[in-house]
Amino acid sequence: MITARALTKRYGDTVAVDAVDFTVEPGTVTGFLGPNGAGKSTTMRMAMGLDHPSSGSITINGRHYRDLPAPLHEVGALLEARAIHGGRTAYNHLLWLAKSNGIAARRVGEVLDLVGLTEVAHKRSKGFSLGMGQRLGIAAALLGDPGVLLFDEPVNGLDPEGIAWIRRLIRSLAAEGRTVFVSSHLMSEMAITADHLIVIGKGQILADTDMNDFIARNSASHVRVRSPHVTELAERLAGRGWSVERADDGALLVTGASAEQVGDVAGSERLYVHELRKVEASLEDAFIRLTADSVEYHAAAPTGRSDLTTAGV
Amino acid sequence: MTTATLMHANMPRPDRLRFGHALSAEWTKLLSVRSTAWTLAALVVVSVGLTAIVNMLAAPDLAESMADGEPFEPVGAFVMWGGQFGQIAAFVLGVLIASSEYASGMMRSTLAAIPRRGHVLGAKSLVLAGVVLVLGIVTTFGMYVAANFFLSREGIGMALTDDGVLRAIVGGGMYLAVLAVFGLALGLLMRHTAGAVTVGLATLFVVGNLVMLIPGAAGEWLTKLMPGNAGSQVAMVESFNPNLLDPWVGFAVFAGETLLLLAIAGWLFARRDA
Repeated sequence: MITARALTKRYGDTVAVDAVDFTVEPGTVTGFLGPNGAGKSTTMRMAMGLDHPSSGSITINGRHYRDLPAPLHEVGALLEARAIHGGRTAYNHLLWLAKSNGIAARRVGEVLDLVGLTEVAHKRSKGFSLGMGQRLGIAAALLGDPGVLLFDEPVNGLDPEGIAWIRRLIRSLAAEGRTVFVSSHLMSEMAITADHLIVIGKGQILADTDMNDFIARNSASHVRVRSPHVTELAERLAGRGWSVERADDGALLVTGASAEQVGDVAGSERLYVHELRKVEASLEDAFIRLTADSVEYHAAAPTGRSDLTTAGV
Repeated sequence: MTTATLMHANMPRPDRLRFGHALSAEWTKLLSVRSTAWTLAALVVVSVGLTAIVNMLAAPDLAESMADGEPFEPVGAFVMWGGQFGQIAAFVLGVLIASSEYASGMMRSTLAAIPRRGHVLGAKSLVLAGVVLVLGIVTTFGMYVAANFFLSREGIGMALTDDGVLRAIVGGGMYLAVLAVFGLALGLLMRHTAGAVTVGLATLFVVGNLVMLIPGAAGEWLTKLMPGNAGSQVAMVESFNPNLLDPWVGFAVFAGETLLLLAIAGWLFARRDA
Protein backbone atom coordinates (compact mmCIF):
# COMPACT_ATOMS: atom_id res chain seq x y z
CA MET A 1 0.00 0.00 0.00
CA ILE A 2 1.27 3.45 -0.93
CA THR A 3 -0.20 6.46 0.84
CA ALA A 4 0.36 10.12 -0.09
CA ARG A 5 -0.85 12.79 2.32
CA ALA A 6 -0.72 16.47 1.34
CA LEU A 7 2.38 15.55 -0.64
CA THR A 8 4.00 18.68 -2.05
CA LYS A 9 7.15 19.35 -4.05
CA ARG A 10 8.28 22.84 -4.94
CA TYR A 11 11.21 23.85 -7.11
CA GLY A 12 11.66 27.53 -6.37
CA ASP A 13 8.37 29.15 -7.41
CA THR A 14 7.20 26.16 -9.41
CA VAL A 15 4.93 23.69 -7.68
CA ALA A 16 5.56 20.29 -9.26
CA VAL A 17 3.30 18.34 -6.88
CA ASP A 18 0.62 20.29 -5.07
CA ALA A 19 -0.77 18.88 -1.80
CA VAL A 20 -1.65 15.53 -3.31
CA ASP A 21 -3.61 12.84 -1.44
CA PHE A 22 -4.11 9.30 -2.71
CA THR A 23 -3.87 5.67 -1.72
CA VAL A 24 -2.64 2.81 -3.89
CA GLU A 25 -4.24 -0.45 -2.76
CA PRO A 26 -2.75 -3.94 -2.92
CA GLY A 27 -4.10 -6.54 -5.33
CA THR A 28 -4.91 -4.05 -8.06
CA VAL A 29 -3.06 -2.22 -10.79
CA THR A 30 -3.32 1.50 -10.15
CA GLY A 31 -2.63 3.65 -13.16
CA PHE A 32 -1.01 7.03 -12.62
CA LEU A 33 -1.98 9.03 -15.63
CA GLY A 34 -0.99 12.54 -16.59
CA PRO A 35 0.53 14.59 -19.37
CA ASN A 36 4.29 15.05 -19.46
CA GLY A 37 5.45 17.34 -16.67
CA ALA A 38 2.35 16.67 -14.55
CA GLY A 39 4.37 15.46 -11.57
CA LYS A 40 4.22 11.66 -12.02
CA SER A 41 7.95 10.99 -11.90
CA THR A 42 8.49 13.48 -9.10
CA THR A 43 5.83 11.72 -7.04
CA MET A 44 7.42 8.33 -7.71
CA ARG A 45 10.89 9.61 -6.82
CA MET A 46 9.51 10.94 -3.54
CA ALA A 47 7.91 7.55 -2.85
CA MET A 48 11.36 6.00 -3.32
CA GLY A 49 13.01 8.46 -0.94
CA LEU A 50 15.13 9.85 -3.78
CA ASP A 51 13.61 13.34 -3.72
CA HIS A 52 12.56 14.99 -0.50
CA PRO A 53 8.99 16.36 -0.29
CA SER A 54 8.75 20.09 0.44
CA SER A 55 5.89 19.17 2.79
CA GLY A 56 3.48 16.32 3.37
CA SER A 57 4.46 12.70 3.11
CA ILE A 58 4.35 9.57 1.02
CA THR A 59 4.70 6.23 2.76
CA ILE A 60 4.94 2.59 1.79
CA ASN A 61 3.15 0.14 4.07
CA GLY A 62 2.96 2.97 6.60
CA ARG A 63 6.65 3.82 6.60
CA HIS A 64 8.81 6.36 4.84
CA TYR A 65 11.03 4.64 2.29
CA ARG A 66 14.19 5.45 4.23
CA ASP A 67 12.74 3.71 7.30
CA LEU A 68 12.07 0.40 5.52
CA PRO A 69 14.28 -2.22 7.18
CA ALA A 70 15.28 -3.89 3.90
CA PRO A 71 13.80 -1.81 1.06
CA LEU A 72 14.35 -4.13 -1.91
CA HIS A 73 12.39 -6.85 -0.09
CA GLU A 74 9.40 -4.53 0.14
CA VAL A 75 9.56 -2.23 -2.88
CA GLY A 76 10.70 -2.78 -6.44
CA ALA A 77 10.91 0.09 -8.87
CA LEU A 78 11.49 0.63 -12.55
CA LEU A 79 12.42 4.27 -12.81
CA GLU A 80 12.09 6.35 -15.94
CA ALA A 81 15.80 6.84 -16.51
CA ARG A 82 17.79 3.66 -17.02
CA ALA A 83 19.52 3.67 -13.66
CA ILE A 84 22.22 1.28 -14.86
CA HIS A 85 25.97 1.65 -15.47
CA GLY A 86 26.57 0.58 -19.06
CA GLY A 87 29.97 -0.89 -18.31
CA ARG A 88 28.58 -3.48 -15.92
CA THR A 89 27.10 -6.80 -17.00
CA ALA A 90 23.46 -7.54 -16.34
CA TYR A 91 24.50 -10.24 -13.87
CA ASN A 92 26.84 -7.93 -11.94
CA HIS A 93 24.27 -5.14 -11.84
CA LEU A 94 21.82 -7.48 -10.17
CA LEU A 95 24.55 -9.00 -8.00
CA TRP A 96 25.51 -5.76 -6.28
CA LEU A 97 21.82 -4.96 -5.77
CA ALA A 98 21.34 -8.40 -4.20
CA LYS A 99 24.29 -7.90 -1.88
CA SER A 100 23.06 -4.48 -0.82
CA ASN A 101 19.93 -6.07 0.67
CA GLY A 102 21.20 -9.46 1.79
CA ILE A 103 19.58 -11.32 -1.11
CA ALA A 104 21.16 -14.66 -2.09
CA ALA A 105 23.18 -14.58 -5.34
CA ARG A 106 21.10 -17.53 -6.59
CA ARG A 107 18.10 -15.19 -6.89
CA VAL A 108 19.98 -13.19 -9.56
CA GLY A 109 19.81 -16.17 -11.90
CA GLU A 110 16.13 -16.61 -11.14
CA VAL A 111 15.12 -13.06 -12.06
CA LEU A 112 17.33 -13.08 -15.17
CA ASP A 113 15.47 -16.20 -16.25
CA LEU A 114 12.16 -14.59 -15.39
CA VAL A 115 12.74 -11.60 -17.70
CA GLY A 116 14.44 -13.67 -20.41
CA LEU A 117 17.94 -12.19 -20.14
CA THR A 118 19.83 -15.35 -19.14
CA GLU A 119 21.65 -15.55 -22.46
CA VAL A 120 23.03 -12.02 -22.19
CA ALA A 121 23.61 -12.14 -18.43
CA HIS A 122 27.35 -11.68 -18.85
CA LYS A 123 27.17 -9.01 -21.53
CA ARG A 124 27.71 -5.37 -20.61
CA SER A 125 24.43 -3.52 -20.56
CA LYS A 126 25.58 -0.63 -22.76
CA GLY A 127 24.98 -2.90 -25.77
CA PHE A 128 21.40 -3.63 -24.72
CA SER A 129 18.41 -2.51 -26.74
CA LEU A 130 15.81 -0.33 -25.05
CA GLY A 131 13.65 -3.39 -24.47
CA MET A 132 16.49 -5.39 -22.93
CA GLY A 133 17.38 -2.45 -20.68
CA GLN A 134 13.74 -2.30 -19.59
CA ARG A 135 13.77 -6.03 -18.84
CA LEU A 136 16.93 -5.61 -16.77
CA GLY A 137 15.24 -2.81 -14.84
CA ILE A 138 12.27 -5.10 -14.19
CA ALA A 139 14.59 -7.91 -13.08
CA ALA A 140 16.10 -5.46 -10.58
CA ALA A 141 12.63 -4.49 -9.37
CA LEU A 142 11.64 -8.15 -8.81
CA LEU A 143 14.94 -9.14 -7.18
CA GLY A 144 13.70 -8.92 -3.59
CA ASP A 145 10.26 -10.40 -4.39
CA PRO A 146 8.67 -7.16 -3.16
CA GLY A 147 5.01 -6.65 -2.34
CA VAL A 148 4.97 -3.12 -3.75
CA LEU A 149 6.00 -2.27 -7.30
CA LEU A 150 6.42 1.09 -9.00
CA PHE A 151 6.77 1.29 -12.76
CA ASP A 152 7.45 4.69 -14.28
CA GLU A 153 6.39 4.69 -17.95
CA PRO A 154 7.25 0.99 -18.38
CA VAL A 155 6.16 0.65 -22.01
CA ASN A 156 7.98 3.73 -23.31
CA GLY A 157 9.90 2.89 -26.45
CA LEU A 158 9.11 -0.82 -26.42
CA ASP A 159 8.12 -2.93 -29.40
CA PRO A 160 4.62 -4.48 -29.42
CA GLU A 161 5.88 -7.81 -28.14
CA GLY A 162 7.67 -6.10 -25.24
CA ILE A 163 4.56 -4.05 -24.45
CA ALA A 164 2.37 -7.15 -24.36
CA TRP A 165 4.88 -8.89 -22.09
CA ILE A 166 4.99 -6.00 -19.63
CA ARG A 167 1.19 -5.76 -19.56
CA ARG A 168 0.90 -9.47 -18.74
CA LEU A 169 3.58 -9.16 -16.08
CA ILE A 170 1.90 -6.17 -14.44
CA ARG A 171 -1.46 -7.93 -14.42
CA SER A 172 -0.01 -11.09 -12.90
CA LEU A 173 1.88 -9.16 -10.20
CA ALA A 174 -1.38 -7.55 -9.09
CA ALA A 175 -3.20 -10.89 -9.30
CA GLU A 176 -0.67 -12.23 -6.80
CA GLY A 177 -1.86 -9.59 -4.35
CA ARG A 178 0.91 -7.07 -4.83
CA THR A 179 0.48 -3.31 -4.90
CA VAL A 180 1.25 -2.17 -8.44
CA PHE A 181 1.57 1.52 -9.31
CA VAL A 182 2.15 2.26 -13.00
CA SER A 183 2.59 5.68 -14.53
CA SER A 184 1.85 6.55 -18.12
CA HIS A 185 0.89 9.48 -20.29
CA LEU A 186 -1.23 7.24 -22.53
CA MET A 187 -4.90 6.80 -21.63
CA SER A 188 -5.24 3.84 -23.97
CA GLU A 189 -2.43 2.03 -22.16
CA MET A 190 -4.03 2.63 -18.80
CA ALA A 191 -7.46 1.50 -20.02
CA ILE A 192 -5.95 -1.88 -20.86
CA THR A 193 -3.71 -2.36 -17.84
CA ALA A 194 -5.17 -0.57 -14.83
CA ASP A 195 -8.04 -1.41 -12.47
CA HIS A 196 -7.93 1.93 -10.78
CA LEU A 197 -7.00 5.30 -12.18
CA ILE A 198 -5.40 8.35 -10.62
CA VAL A 199 -5.17 11.29 -13.00
CA ILE A 200 -2.69 14.04 -12.25
CA GLY A 201 -2.28 17.37 -14.00
CA LYS A 202 -0.09 20.30 -13.03
CA GLY A 203 0.70 18.57 -9.77
CA GLN A 204 -2.93 18.13 -8.71
CA ILE A 205 -5.13 15.04 -8.61
CA LEU A 206 -7.88 15.50 -11.22
CA ALA A 207 -9.53 12.12 -10.80
CA ASP A 208 -9.16 9.14 -8.49
CA THR A 209 -11.58 6.52 -9.66
CA ASP A 210 -12.31 2.93 -10.55
CA MET A 211 -11.31 2.34 -14.17
CA ASN A 212 -14.67 0.81 -15.16
CA ASP A 213 -16.52 3.79 -13.71
CA PHE A 214 -14.24 6.15 -15.56
CA ILE A 215 -14.83 4.32 -18.83
CA ALA A 216 -18.60 4.17 -18.32
CA ARG A 217 -18.78 7.84 -17.47
CA ASN A 218 -16.46 9.12 -20.16
CA SER A 219 -17.10 6.94 -23.16
CA ALA A 220 -20.67 8.26 -23.35
CA SER A 221 -21.31 9.74 -26.76
CA HIS A 222 -23.12 13.02 -27.40
CA VAL A 223 -25.18 14.59 -30.14
CA ARG A 224 -23.90 17.59 -32.01
CA VAL A 225 -26.49 19.95 -33.46
CA ARG A 226 -26.17 23.28 -35.27
CA SER A 227 -29.14 25.57 -35.73
CA PRO A 228 -29.82 29.23 -36.56
CA HIS A 229 -32.15 29.20 -33.55
CA VAL A 230 -29.50 28.05 -31.22
CA THR A 231 -30.62 29.82 -28.04
CA GLU A 232 -34.20 28.68 -28.33
CA LEU A 233 -33.22 25.13 -29.25
CA ALA A 234 -30.83 24.94 -26.30
CA GLU A 235 -33.61 25.99 -23.95
CA ARG A 236 -36.00 23.39 -25.34
CA LEU A 237 -33.37 20.61 -25.12
CA ALA A 238 -32.35 21.56 -21.60
CA GLY A 239 -36.06 21.58 -20.73
CA ARG A 240 -36.13 17.85 -21.47
CA GLY A 241 -33.50 17.29 -18.77
CA TRP A 242 -30.63 16.72 -21.17
CA SER A 243 -27.20 18.21 -20.62
CA VAL A 244 -26.47 20.88 -23.21
CA GLU A 245 -23.19 22.62 -23.85
CA ARG A 246 -22.24 25.10 -26.50
CA ALA A 247 -19.10 24.32 -28.49
CA ASP A 248 -16.69 27.01 -29.65
CA ASP A 249 -18.21 27.11 -33.13
CA GLY A 250 -21.69 27.67 -31.71
CA ALA A 251 -22.92 24.11 -32.11
CA LEU A 252 -24.77 22.47 -29.22
CA LEU A 253 -23.43 19.31 -27.64
CA VAL A 254 -26.26 17.28 -26.12
CA THR A 255 -25.61 14.44 -23.74
CA GLY A 256 -28.25 11.94 -22.67
CA ALA A 257 -30.31 12.07 -25.84
CA SER A 258 -30.17 10.26 -29.16
CA ALA A 259 -29.86 12.11 -32.48
CA GLU A 260 -33.48 11.11 -33.27
CA GLN A 261 -34.76 12.62 -30.02
CA VAL A 262 -32.89 15.87 -30.65
CA GLY A 263 -34.20 16.02 -34.24
CA ASP A 264 -37.76 15.37 -33.05
CA VAL A 265 -37.58 18.22 -30.54
CA ALA A 266 -36.31 20.60 -33.22
CA GLY A 267 -39.01 19.46 -35.65
CA SER A 268 -41.89 19.74 -33.18
CA GLU A 269 -40.73 23.25 -32.22
CA ARG A 270 -40.31 24.13 -35.92
CA LEU A 271 -36.66 25.10 -35.50
CA TYR A 272 -34.28 24.71 -38.45
CA VAL A 273 -31.39 22.31 -38.06
CA HIS A 274 -28.18 22.64 -40.14
CA GLU A 275 -26.28 19.75 -38.68
CA LEU A 276 -27.27 16.78 -36.57
CA ARG A 277 -24.99 13.90 -35.75
CA LYS A 278 -23.90 11.52 -33.07
CA VAL A 279 -20.30 11.96 -31.86
CA GLU A 280 -18.56 8.98 -30.27
CA ALA A 281 -16.33 10.05 -27.39
CA SER A 282 -13.07 8.23 -26.82
CA LEU A 283 -11.30 7.74 -23.51
CA GLU A 284 -8.40 9.69 -24.97
CA ASP A 285 -10.80 12.64 -25.47
CA ALA A 286 -11.98 12.29 -21.89
CA PHE A 287 -8.39 12.40 -20.68
CA ILE A 288 -7.61 15.40 -22.86
CA ARG A 289 -10.70 17.22 -21.58
CA LEU A 290 -9.79 16.36 -18.01
CA THR A 291 -6.28 17.66 -18.30
CA ALA A 292 -6.92 20.43 -20.84
CA ASP A 293 -6.33 23.17 -18.32
CA SER A 294 -3.33 21.50 -16.82
CA VAL A 295 -1.02 20.78 -19.71
CA GLU A 296 1.86 23.17 -19.88
CA TYR A 297 1.89 23.62 -23.63
CA HIS A 298 -0.92 22.99 -26.02
CA ALA A 299 -1.65 23.75 -29.62
CA ALA A 300 -4.75 25.91 -29.09
CA ALA A 301 -6.18 27.08 -25.82
CA PRO A 302 -9.84 26.13 -25.43
CA THR A 303 -12.12 29.09 -24.69
CA GLY A 304 -14.87 29.16 -22.12
CA ARG A 305 -18.11 27.29 -22.68
CA SER A 306 -21.49 29.00 -22.72
CA ASP A 307 -23.59 29.62 -19.65
CA LEU A 308 -26.17 27.16 -20.95
CA THR A 309 -24.26 24.27 -19.39
CA THR A 310 -26.48 22.35 -17.03
CA ALA A 311 -24.00 19.69 -16.15
CA GLY A 312 -20.25 19.86 -16.35
CA VAL A 313 -17.99 17.23 -17.75
CA MET B 1 10.41 -16.44 -20.60
CA THR B 2 7.50 -16.66 -18.25
CA THR B 3 5.22 -14.33 -16.38
CA ALA B 4 5.32 -16.33 -13.17
CA THR B 5 7.12 -14.22 -10.61
CA LEU B 6 8.19 -16.68 -7.94
CA MET B 7 5.94 -15.15 -5.35
CA HIS B 8 6.45 -16.45 -1.84
CA ALA B 9 9.93 -17.61 -2.67
CA ASN B 10 10.52 -17.62 1.09
CA MET B 11 13.61 -15.54 0.70
CA PRO B 12 15.51 -14.87 3.88
CA ARG B 13 15.18 -11.20 4.72
CA PRO B 14 17.57 -9.28 6.96
CA ASP B 15 15.78 -7.61 9.88
CA ARG B 16 17.54 -4.41 8.84
CA LEU B 17 20.29 -3.29 6.50
CA ARG B 18 23.73 -3.12 8.04
CA PHE B 19 26.81 -1.20 6.95
CA GLY B 20 28.28 -4.52 5.82
CA HIS B 21 25.57 -4.82 3.15
CA ALA B 22 26.56 -1.44 1.73
CA LEU B 23 30.27 -2.36 1.86
CA SER B 24 29.65 -5.62 0.05
CA ALA B 25 27.53 -3.85 -2.61
CA GLU B 26 30.12 -1.12 -3.21
CA TRP B 27 32.92 -3.69 -3.37
CA THR B 28 30.99 -5.64 -6.03
CA LYS B 29 30.33 -2.43 -7.94
CA LEU B 30 33.96 -1.34 -7.92
CA LEU B 31 35.23 -4.67 -9.18
CA SER B 32 32.58 -5.15 -11.86
CA VAL B 33 33.41 -2.18 -14.08
CA ARG B 34 36.32 -2.36 -16.46
CA SER B 35 37.17 1.35 -16.25
CA THR B 36 38.12 0.86 -12.60
CA ALA B 37 40.52 -1.92 -13.47
CA TRP B 38 42.02 0.15 -16.29
CA THR B 39 42.48 3.20 -14.10
CA LEU B 40 44.11 1.18 -11.33
CA ALA B 41 46.35 -0.68 -13.78
CA ALA B 42 47.38 2.64 -15.32
CA LEU B 43 48.13 4.01 -11.87
CA VAL B 44 50.58 1.19 -11.13
CA VAL B 45 52.13 0.64 -14.56
CA VAL B 46 52.56 4.26 -15.66
CA SER B 47 53.86 5.44 -12.28
CA VAL B 48 56.46 2.71 -12.11
CA GLY B 49 57.32 3.00 -15.80
CA LEU B 50 57.81 6.78 -15.70
CA THR B 51 59.96 6.44 -12.59
CA ALA B 52 62.14 3.90 -14.34
CA ILE B 53 62.59 6.07 -17.45
CA VAL B 54 63.32 9.28 -15.53
CA ASN B 55 65.82 7.57 -13.25
CA MET B 56 67.47 5.80 -16.14
CA LEU B 57 68.01 9.17 -17.81
CA ALA B 58 68.90 11.17 -14.70
CA ALA B 59 71.01 8.68 -12.78
CA PRO B 60 74.34 9.31 -14.60
CA ASP B 61 74.11 13.10 -14.25
CA LEU B 62 72.98 12.78 -10.62
CA ALA B 63 75.91 10.52 -9.82
CA GLU B 64 78.31 12.91 -11.51
CA SER B 65 76.98 15.95 -9.67
CA MET B 66 77.14 14.10 -6.39
CA ALA B 67 80.73 13.11 -7.08
CA ASP B 68 81.42 16.84 -7.51
CA GLY B 69 79.89 17.29 -4.06
CA GLU B 70 77.14 19.57 -5.36
CA PRO B 71 74.02 17.54 -6.33
CA PHE B 72 71.69 19.72 -8.46
CA GLU B 73 68.67 18.00 -6.92
CA PRO B 74 68.36 15.63 -3.97
CA VAL B 75 68.53 12.05 -5.21
CA GLY B 76 65.64 11.04 -2.98
CA ALA B 77 63.37 13.39 -4.91
CA PHE B 78 63.70 11.19 -7.99
CA VAL B 79 62.76 7.88 -6.37
CA MET B 80 59.01 8.54 -6.42
CA TRP B 81 59.01 10.67 -9.58
CA GLY B 82 56.22 8.72 -11.32
CA GLY B 83 53.92 9.38 -8.39
CA GLN B 84 53.10 12.65 -10.13
CA PHE B 85 51.10 10.64 -12.62
CA GLY B 86 49.80 8.13 -10.11
CA GLN B 87 48.23 10.84 -7.99
CA ILE B 88 46.19 12.09 -10.96
CA ALA B 89 44.91 8.56 -11.64
CA ALA B 90 43.96 8.06 -7.98
CA PHE B 91 42.17 11.41 -7.87
CA VAL B 92 40.27 10.82 -11.12
CA LEU B 93 39.21 7.35 -10.00
CA GLY B 94 37.79 8.89 -6.83
CA VAL B 95 35.85 11.50 -8.82
CA LEU B 96 34.44 8.83 -11.14
CA ILE B 97 33.20 6.64 -8.28
CA ALA B 98 30.73 9.39 -7.45
CA SER B 99 30.17 11.40 -10.63
CA SER B 100 29.67 8.42 -12.96
CA GLU B 101 26.68 7.37 -10.87
CA TYR B 102 25.07 10.71 -11.58
CA ALA B 103 25.95 10.55 -15.26
CA SER B 104 24.33 7.13 -15.71
CA GLY B 105 21.46 7.57 -13.27
CA MET B 106 22.91 4.72 -11.19
CA MET B 107 22.73 6.89 -8.08
CA ARG B 108 18.97 6.31 -8.05
CA SER B 109 19.45 2.54 -8.02
CA THR B 110 22.05 2.91 -5.31
CA LEU B 111 19.86 5.03 -3.05
CA ALA B 112 16.78 2.90 -3.69
CA ALA B 113 18.79 -0.12 -2.51
CA ILE B 114 20.55 1.68 0.34
CA PRO B 115 18.38 4.60 1.47
CA ARG B 116 20.77 5.57 4.27
CA ARG B 117 23.03 7.98 2.47
CA GLY B 118 25.61 7.91 5.23
CA HIS B 119 26.03 4.20 4.57
CA VAL B 120 26.46 4.81 0.86
CA LEU B 121 29.10 7.48 1.35
CA GLY B 122 30.90 5.55 4.09
CA ALA B 123 31.00 2.33 2.08
CA LYS B 124 32.18 4.10 -1.08
CA SER B 125 34.94 5.90 0.81
CA LEU B 126 36.17 2.79 2.64
CA VAL B 127 36.18 0.50 -0.39
CA LEU B 128 37.91 3.12 -2.52
CA ALA B 129 40.49 4.04 0.14
CA GLY B 130 41.23 0.39 0.87
CA VAL B 131 41.78 -0.59 -2.76
CA VAL B 132 43.89 2.49 -3.55
CA LEU B 133 45.93 2.08 -0.35
CA VAL B 134 46.93 -1.47 -1.26
CA LEU B 135 47.63 -0.70 -4.93
CA GLY B 136 49.25 2.58 -3.89
CA ILE B 137 51.79 0.78 -1.72
CA VAL B 138 52.40 -1.71 -4.53
CA THR B 139 53.01 1.33 -6.75
CA THR B 140 55.35 3.18 -4.40
CA PHE B 141 57.31 0.01 -3.69
CA GLY B 142 57.51 -0.66 -7.42
CA MET B 143 58.74 2.89 -8.05
CA TYR B 144 61.41 2.45 -5.38
CA VAL B 145 62.61 -0.81 -6.89
CA ALA B 146 62.60 0.62 -10.43
CA ALA B 147 64.41 3.83 -9.45
CA ASN B 148 66.90 2.03 -7.27
CA PHE B 149 67.82 -0.33 -10.07
CA PHE B 150 69.20 2.57 -12.10
CA LEU B 151 70.52 4.61 -9.17
CA SER B 152 72.41 1.60 -7.78
CA ARG B 153 74.13 1.06 -11.13
CA GLU B 154 75.62 4.53 -10.71
CA GLY B 155 76.47 3.80 -7.08
CA ILE B 156 73.96 6.24 -5.61
CA GLY B 157 71.22 3.74 -4.66
CA MET B 158 69.20 3.94 -1.47
CA ALA B 159 68.47 1.15 1.00
CA LEU B 160 64.98 0.55 2.38
CA THR B 161 66.37 1.52 5.75
CA ASP B 162 67.68 4.88 4.49
CA ASP B 163 66.04 7.99 5.82
CA GLY B 164 62.59 8.51 4.38
CA VAL B 165 62.50 5.52 2.04
CA LEU B 166 60.12 3.29 3.98
CA ARG B 167 58.13 6.36 5.03
CA ALA B 168 57.68 7.38 1.40
CA ILE B 169 56.59 3.88 0.39
CA VAL B 170 53.93 3.55 3.11
CA GLY B 171 53.08 7.26 3.22
CA GLY B 172 52.85 7.39 -0.57
CA GLY B 173 50.20 4.68 -0.54
CA MET B 174 48.31 6.54 2.17
CA TYR B 175 48.58 9.81 0.26
CA LEU B 176 47.10 8.20 -2.87
CA ALA B 177 44.26 6.67 -0.81
CA VAL B 178 43.35 10.03 0.77
CA LEU B 179 43.68 11.71 -2.62
CA ALA B 180 41.15 9.25 -4.07
CA VAL B 181 38.73 10.09 -1.26
CA PHE B 182 39.35 13.80 -1.97
CA GLY B 183 38.23 13.08 -5.55
CA LEU B 184 35.20 11.14 -4.34
CA ALA B 185 34.11 14.05 -2.14
CA LEU B 186 34.55 16.52 -4.99
CA GLY B 187 32.73 14.25 -7.45
CA LEU B 188 29.82 13.89 -5.04
CA LEU B 189 29.75 17.62 -4.43
CA MET B 190 29.80 18.62 -8.11
CA ARG B 191 28.08 15.54 -9.61
CA HIS B 192 29.85 16.20 -12.86
CA THR B 193 33.00 14.41 -13.98
CA ALA B 194 34.63 17.07 -16.11
CA GLY B 195 33.84 19.84 -13.65
CA ALA B 196 35.12 17.94 -10.63
CA VAL B 197 38.29 16.80 -12.40
CA THR B 198 39.06 20.33 -13.58
CA VAL B 199 38.40 21.98 -10.23
CA GLY B 200 40.26 19.25 -8.36
CA LEU B 201 43.36 19.17 -10.54
CA ALA B 202 43.51 22.95 -10.48
CA THR B 203 43.19 23.09 -6.70
CA LEU B 204 45.66 20.31 -6.09
CA PHE B 205 48.36 20.98 -8.60
CA VAL B 206 48.01 24.44 -10.12
CA VAL B 207 46.77 26.79 -7.42
CA GLY B 208 49.28 25.17 -5.04
CA ASN B 209 52.07 26.51 -7.22
CA LEU B 210 50.42 29.88 -7.91
CA VAL B 211 50.04 30.81 -4.23
CA MET B 212 53.84 30.60 -3.95
CA LEU B 213 53.84 33.91 -5.81
CA ILE B 214 51.93 35.65 -3.02
CA PRO B 215 54.56 37.62 -1.10
CA GLY B 216 55.16 37.42 2.63
CA ALA B 217 54.07 35.04 5.36
CA ALA B 218 50.55 34.72 3.92
CA GLY B 219 51.91 33.27 0.72
CA GLU B 220 54.29 31.02 2.62
CA TRP B 221 51.52 29.53 4.76
CA LEU B 222 49.04 29.22 1.93
CA THR B 223 51.68 27.34 0.01
CA LYS B 224 52.25 24.99 2.92
CA LEU B 225 48.54 24.39 3.55
CA MET B 226 47.30 23.87 -0.01
CA PRO B 227 46.11 20.24 -0.09
CA GLY B 228 48.39 19.09 -2.89
CA ASN B 229 51.50 20.66 -1.33
CA ALA B 230 50.71 19.50 2.20
CA GLY B 231 49.79 15.94 1.27
CA SER B 232 52.41 15.07 -1.31
CA GLN B 233 55.50 15.50 0.91
CA VAL B 234 54.88 12.23 2.71
CA ALA B 235 55.13 10.45 -0.64
CA MET B 236 58.64 11.69 -1.43
CA VAL B 237 61.87 10.35 -0.05
CA GLU B 238 63.29 13.86 -0.26
CA SER B 239 61.45 16.99 -1.26
CA PHE B 240 62.12 19.12 -4.32
CA ASN B 241 60.85 22.02 -2.24
CA PRO B 242 62.30 22.35 1.27
CA ASN B 243 59.86 25.12 2.31
CA LEU B 244 56.84 22.81 2.73
CA LEU B 245 55.44 21.15 5.87
CA ASP B 246 57.15 18.09 7.32
CA PRO B 247 55.87 14.89 5.70
CA TRP B 248 53.56 13.58 8.44
CA VAL B 249 52.42 17.04 9.54
CA GLY B 250 51.57 17.82 5.95
CA PHE B 251 49.77 14.51 5.54
CA ALA B 252 47.70 15.18 8.67
CA VAL B 253 46.74 18.60 7.28
CA PHE B 254 45.76 17.06 3.93
CA ALA B 255 43.77 14.27 5.61
CA GLY B 256 41.98 16.90 7.71
CA GLU B 257 41.15 18.96 4.64
CA THR B 258 39.86 15.86 2.88
CA LEU B 259 37.66 14.91 5.83
CA LEU B 260 36.26 18.43 5.89
CA LEU B 261 35.47 18.27 2.16
CA LEU B 262 33.92 14.81 2.65
CA ALA B 263 31.79 16.12 5.52
CA ILE B 264 30.49 18.99 3.38
CA ALA B 265 29.81 16.63 0.48
CA GLY B 266 28.07 14.18 2.82
CA TRP B 267 25.95 16.91 4.36
CA LEU B 268 24.77 18.04 0.92
CA PHE B 269 24.38 14.44 -0.28
CA ALA B 270 21.91 13.76 2.54
CA ARG B 271 19.87 16.84 1.70
CA ARG B 272 19.82 17.05 -2.07
CA ASP B 273 17.43 15.20 -4.34
CA ALA B 274 19.08 12.31 -6.13
